[in-house]
Amino acid sequence: MRMMIVDDSNIVRSRISRLIEDPRLSNFSLVGTASNGAEAIKLFTQTSPDMVTMDLTMPGIDGVECTEALMELNPDTRILVISALSDKATAINALKKGAQGFLYKPFSDEEIIDALLEISAE
Amino acid sequence: MSDLSKTDIEVFSHAIDQYFKQTTHEPALIEAAYLADNAQHAPPTYGFTGVINVSAKYAGAIYFSAPSAMMRHVLTSMKENNQCEENLLDAVGEIANTISGNARKHFGEHMEISVPEKIIGYPSALNKPSRDYPYIILIKWKHYAASLIVDIKKLQ
Repeated sequence: MRMMIVDDSNIVRSRISRLIEDPRLSNFSLVGTASNGAEAIKLFTQTSPDMVTMDLTMPGIDGVECTEALMELNPDTRILVISALSDKATAINALKKGAQGFLYKPFSDEEIIDALLEISAE
Repeated sequence: MSDLSKTDIEVFSHAIDQYFKQTTHEPALIEAAYLADNAQHAPPTYGFTGVINVSAKYAGAIYFSAPSAMMRHVLTSMKENNQCEENLLDAVGEIANTISGNARKHFGEHMEISVPEKIIGYPSALNKPSRDYPYIILIKWKHYAASLIVDIKKLQ
């Protein structure tokens, strides 16, 4: 499972990158990280990841618009939205645009590992 | 109604609690919560501050402020070894963003939130707060003091 991380926070990108080293995610590999929607779309076309973790609140192209753009490029991509926007309407909107899962910040290591495994198994 | 209710403010205390429990496995204590009188005392800030501006049916901003030593300790708890100034600023921004984003569950789509601004030193916007009396929540995590300043108001 080739994965791309999209988040405007360095420390969140770094944390998720480290978690991919967990033995339970041994079939995951990181193809790259992006700090905004425009960077993500460019990296996506260069690397064709199978899975993306997607922040929502980012400068420029936000996570919902970016999810929509990536799904147009490859509808088979699995997208896990990871966001602090914990209202139901935001989650439903992201899922309507093509995301397969939604994980609320703050998240524990276990929660994100479980979410990645669940989406990769679908 | 132009003011915030007790429940509105408790939402922020709960979001602080959740952030530190989930991310660092160490709870944060709410030491005090009060209304600041800007004319008498500037709201307490500490070195590094993350700011989230709100819009739509609300105006103002939410500030999370902490000293650099605390932010280094938070990063250590997250197993982040790169504790450069950029990452300390990133961390206060991310905490402000997470707390504000969680609070939006209570306020709903009527409260739009911005991407975080990250500031070293005293945030000049606090010299002209949106509220006459911003809400101050004093936080203790380990032995460090930090603050959350809720300077938002409902628009009529």
